[in-house]
Amino acid sequence: MQMQFSYEVKDSYAEVKSVGRLNMVAAPKLREVVNEVVASGSSRVVVNLAETDFMDSSGLGALIGCLKAARQAGGDLRIAGVQPQVKMVLELTNMDRVLTAYPSAEEAFGDD
Amino acid sequence: MTEVVARRGFHGPSNDDAIEAIHNELDGLWDDASFVPDMDRMTFATAVIEAAANIVQHALPVAEKPVEIDVDISVRPTRLVARVSAFNAREPFANDMQASMPDEDAESGRGLALIEALVTTVTFERQDGTNTWILTRNT
Repeated sequence: MQMQFSYEVKDSYAEVKSVGRLNMVAAPKLREVVNEVVASGSSRVVVNLAETDFMDSSGLGALIGCLKAARQAGGDLRIAGVQPQVKMVLELTNMDRVLTAYPSAEEAFGDD
Repeated sequence: MTEVVARRGFHGPSNDDAIEAIHNELDGLWDDASFVPDMDRMTFATAVIEAAANIVQHALPVAEKPVEIDVDISVRPTRLVARVSAFNAREPFANDMQASMPDEDAESGRGLALIEALVTTVTFERQDGTNTWILTRNT
């Protein structure tokens, strides 16, 4: 199964959809897509993980790199739709405090 | 000798395709051993993929022959066991064996710490140019 990424620029944020396994094969592609989104002027990014049932430390590293890129551009990166395996990896690495998870992409920037 | 209930394996060049193939073997293993609880599947599969990805990303060949990856995963009545090996590989650098979590903003270096958090035992063996990680999880 190939990892697929797509994005959509909304009114106040850009949503990047991640489908499939976010492993060392897919991680560089996620970085490319988010860098493209940020470079095009959308620095408030939500990565929708509702259809990502697996993430390893490479995928996590890519999310951290993307978070830094979004913040450097004056925005932020948030994640939504986190599934059990991804939640487990975030908790075991203590990164759940850094990468805030929201129930849905709509809610991720709903508070500001 | 503990009874093996289900077993899957993979052997091939150490590259991206191997990672996808090992994911598929793990999925197949759970089909063959449907009694294994979801939590054990999730944790064990994550550890196996981390170990395999560590080989693909870091293992260097000892001579001209390229590194090959070999995975043998078995389900036993009360235990999951994986042997994840790098053939024709140099001994890993101390850096690659780092097992503590790095700083929050680090973009790599969490693999081995994650493996240790996911399984019951992690053993490393080196013999005749082959590095093997043996991962077990009690179920």
